[in-house]
Amino acid sequence: MNIEIIAQMVVSGALMGLVYALIAYGFQLTYATSKSINFGQGELVMLSAFFSLTLLNIGVPYWLMVPGGLLFGAALGLLVERAGVRLALQQKSEGWILLTIILGLLGFSSAENIWGRDDRPFPTPISSDALHVFGINITPLEISVAIGVFAIMGLVELFKRNTLLGKAFEAVSADRDAAELMGISATRTIMLSYGLSGMVAAMAGILISPITTVGPTMASALILKAFAVAVVAGLDSGFGVVLVGIVLGALESLTSFYIGSGWREAPGLVLLILALAVRPNGVFGKATIRKV
Amino acid sequence: MLKVENLHAGYGSSEVLNGVSLHVKPGQVVALIGANGAGKTTTMRAISGMIRPTSGSVLLDGKAAQGMGAARIARIGLAHAPEGRKVFGPLSVEDNLLLGAFSRLPHFFGFHRKAEEELQRVYELFPRLLERRGQAAGTLSGGEQQMLAIARALMAKPKVILLDEPSMGLAPVIVQEVFNIIRRLKDAGITLLLVEQFAKSALEVADYAYVMEHGQIAVEGTPAELNKNDRVLAAYLG
Amino acid sequence: MLKRFLLLRGAEIIVLMALASVPLMVNNTYALGLLTLLAIYGILLIGLDVTVGYLGQVNLAQAAFLGLGAYAAGLSATMLGYGMMASLSISMLVGLVLGGLLAFPALRLDGPQFALATLSFSALSTTVLNEWEGLTSGAQGLSLSRPTWLGLSMDAQGFYWLCLLMLALVWMLMRNLLASQWGRAFEALRDSPIATDAMGVGTYRHKVAGFALGSSLGALAGGLYAFNFQYLQPQSFTYDLMVILLLGVVLGGRKSLWGAFFGACLIVLLPNLLSNKLLFELISAAGLLLAVVSGVRAWKSKSTQHFQILAPIVAMGILVVGGFMVENTENWRKAIFALMLFSVVVGLPDGVMGYIAKLLTRILRVPPADIAAAVSLDTVLPKRESDGQTLLELNDLQRYFGGVKAVDGISLKVRAGQVHGLIGPNGSGKSTAVNVISGLYAPSGGEIRLQGKRLPSGSLLKVARVGVARTFQNLQLFGELSALDNVMVALKGVYRTPLPLLLLGLARAEEQRAQGEALALLELVGLKAQARMAAKDLTYGSQRFLEIARALARKPALLILDEPAAGLAHPDVQVLITLIKTIHERGITIILIEHHMDVVSELCDVVTVLDGGKVIAEGVPDEVKRDAKVIKAYLGVVQDDAPSDAVDRKEAPAC
Repeated sequence: MNIEIIAQMVVSGALMGLVYALIAYGFQLTYATSKSINFGQGELVMLSAFFSLTLLNIGVPYWLMVPGGLLFGAALGLLVERAGVRLALQQKSEGWILLTIILGLLGFSSAENIWGRDDRPFPTPISSDALHVFGINITPLEISVAIGVFAIMGLVELFKRNTLLGKAFEAVSADRDAAELMGISATRTIMLSYGLSGMVAAMAGILISPITTVGPTMASALILKAFAVAVVAGLDSGFGVVLVGIVLGALESLTSFYIGSGWREAPGLVLLILALAVRPNGVFGKATIRKV
Repeated sequence: MLKVENLHAGYGSSEVLNGVSLHVKPGQVVALIGANGAGKTTTMRAISGMIRPTSGSVLLDGKAAQGMGAARIARIGLAHAPEGRKVFGPLSVEDNLLLGAFSRLPHFFGFHRKAEEELQRVYELFPRLLERRGQAAGTLSGGEQQMLAIARALMAKPKVILLDEPSMGLAPVIVQEVFNIIRRLKDAGITLLLVEQFAKSALEVADYAYVMEHGQIAVEGTPAELNKNDRVLAAYLG
Repeated sequence: MLKRFLLLRGAEIIVLMALASVPLMVNNTYALGLLTLLAIYGILLIGLDVTVGYLGQVNLAQAAFLGLGAYAAGLSATMLGYGMMASLSISMLVGLVLGGLLAFPALRLDGPQFALATLSFSALSTTVLNEWEGLTSGAQGLSLSRPTWLGLSMDAQGFYWLCLLMLALVWMLMRNLLASQWGRAFEALRDSPIATDAMGVGTYRHKVAGFALGSSLGALAGGLYAFNFQYLQPQSFTYDLMVILLLGVVLGGRKSLWGAFFGACLIVLLPNLLSNKLLFELISAAGLLLAVVSGVRAWKSKSTQHFQILAPIVAMGILVVGGFMVENTENWRKAIFALMLFSVVVGLPDGVMGYIAKLLTRILRVPPADIAAAVSLDTVLPKRESDGQTLLELNDLQRYFGGVKAVDGISLKVRAGQVHGLIGPNGSGKSTAVNVISGLYAPSGGEIRLQGKRLPSGSLLKVARVGVARTFQNLQLFGELSALDNVMVALKGVYRTPLPLLLLGLARAEEQRAQGEALALLELVGLKAQARMAAKDLTYGSQRFLEIARALARKPALLILDEPAAGLAHPDVQVLITLIKTIHERGITIILIEHHMDVVSELCDVVTVLDGGKVIAEGVPDEVKRDAKVIKAYLGVVQDDAPSDAVDRKEAPAC
């Protein structure tokens, strides 16, 4: 067994894991304000990627495409909130689970018919020629994924900590009623969280597409692992997702190398079910007190 | 300043308030007392929009406020320091205070500068909060959290403050401190509607008081009048 | 009564007969295939409805159980050479065991986490079926031939009848199960898991059992599926199928066998409807019409939100317009499903059959089911002789939340046959104390003894099982259940029929007795006339009384009433006092948390006063009321130099 191969596997797996973490972070954003998540988030990733690809195809330069794609993602996030989440939250029901699944299906079908079922390459100015660092091959493209993930998470966190609106966001997650009493509209804050979450999903799509290509099913495996990361880390645990994402990504690439590529989905799923069995609120999550 | 007429409200199919009317004049401290379950807290919640009244009117400075969401009522100048304090636990003391002024500060940048003056004033009133400005609010003691809740309400420069059970769950010494603060607020000319389970103490600071029973106002009057009223005491110790 | 029976059973028998006779009248392989599939999906959806409808959880694993069951049956037949029934039994066993295993961890949490766990399970089973090539032949697929049944080889027609027989059997057994205590427990725990535990009905075990049951039905359907198609591929059992199954259950109508059947019809026919453009246009136009009509009605009654009215109209409108613009509707299959599902979930939460059932009940004037006559109260709550010995003892009980000492060393004794009052200002720890006693919270320190034996700590269920019943300050009723069912869920000592007999419908006598007892308790609290009303539709005062009746159904040694008078109107308080006296006369020991001092004085033999989580006084009510510490705690007299205070204290009459 070659230590260099293992290291190679771990590093490239961990970089993939960062994308899972980014999507999982999107779940945390909406869970914080509304205790709900978008089960069709994978379709948001995919639709934003297709939209960005279209922007590139009609001649928009790469660096202008990025904000365009992010805006598109945010808009989709808002749409999901309006059509699938708000009513259920008002009725205090869990109808949003079903509704977001349904909206995801609608998005999937639309993508299939608008952009076709084939996988398409996603051009990028960033080179994919491997660099050798300590005997490990790593491409600038992979590095750009890491930078992109941290950049967008950092931006959102900066927003949350340093603007009054961001603090209001935290206030709504801490105590929704009290926030309302301060004049902070919980409905608008939940909208904001869905917008941000959609933006984060779009970023994940733009970052991962050059590596995986773009197609209607591009996110279906991705999203399962993001779910696993979010649940294992805890839906309210902040940066726990990064750690769990990295570990899961590494574990996955080792599994597919040593057991078989068909099994690469398995560790995340097993981890998720185990985490629910052992720590239902996640490794980094807080326990809740039952109230009557 | 605050005029409530024939307010009806409840939870689900149950009606808790059957027509509550009360009046708070500018600069007054008005106490709302009564046994538990009489509907004091529900009255507060119906006024501030935390629950939607089924009928009746709430006039804040002459403007109709009933039926609006809590956030909008807060923006037109009503601050409600709710029962159980409800400070934002994970946020710092100062962030809690800044959020108290949410509706009149810029939402992105420069909010700190604009809130500076008000922050100074509040810190003067509550020096303890200045000492702990960077600390997470959830780690404060019960008494400090209550002070934070009151200070947070002040930050909004509201026309009226609703103060719900500020003494709840606090040790007697701290309760006394809370009442001293209420007295200071009164001296500063702040208009206050106070719900208290400790009727005696409430009557000491109040200019006027209402006694609630079964979702209605049973008795009202100045503290001097109420102290002579057997029914008031009966509401507490049978 | 007879009319109801004839209508309900008659409809079932007519539909069954009609379905069974189709192959005799029409000789069409294609139609036979569809009908077989209909029976299989019927079973599958009835299973799914247990979790989605009765347990109220979004379950995304049913497609996986279909697949697992299919492979289990297929492999039993091909590799082990088992016959039809043996293979199908293996399927069910696999579903039961795997369903149970998944449910154990997954059902500890509900909501999104549960949905995620089932989603992961589905993905994991697809992976396993794909990758375990030695057993399943992986993506290549598994071919098998239909095994014999009782030595008979089955042709398509025979197999269809077998599937139909299975559906009828499942239908009958499930109808019996869901009409029993099990069905009530499933629904109860969806509305309030805390109360379900507190009423001695194990929330968790019922959830696990319900999920395992639903999964095993899914697997049974899988077995039939395998023998129907005689070829299996892992790709057939993925997420896409799952969404279609959800469509079936939700569109058909949750919590209804007919709903599941209707959903199955829809799933089976949908591909055919979509392939014919004219038919599709007709259906989508009908959908739009339905959305507009029900929208206008809802708008007139002003009870629904605008979104609930507009969204289905918009969705259906898109469907109609889209139908004209798109050439091949089959390519848009998923989007069409999505739009239809969306409209139903938003606009028609009861599903199509729920809607039709309501309509038919009204048109045909189907009478509601009869309720057995109330038994005498002495049978339900026989008088206990109380010896006046200590029943409940708290020794230095503590409960901290972080740094907050909600209960800070309480010691007290409750004597059998007494009404023991627990009073104190807000936040003094009364509610926390009873929450610790009843097992909602585990104590941070100290011990609780009931009749000398240590009370189980931190488990509502275990405490309930040793004879402690409680009500809740913030009502925890089973809102969707009728008042009668609320009481019947909690009823102790009646349900003894073993499951197999119950499934066969042999628990009628027991059910009658339970109804009689429950009705007697409703009569006691004055709710006999409202027995059929859903708990959520009762007035607030009635809901409080219903909670008491439900707690009494536990036939408790100790009854804890947590602020029963809170929010009650004055006349109701008088009724409450009489009721508590009656309960007391039956020899039931009562702990009464109450703020109304008049209620306490009238009812309590002993009163314990708490303040700051500690006991500050104890004695008979009159004594306690004069206690200086109590007066101070209640009136909160601040000992500062305010002059008015001194004057007032002299003026204040001793009360």
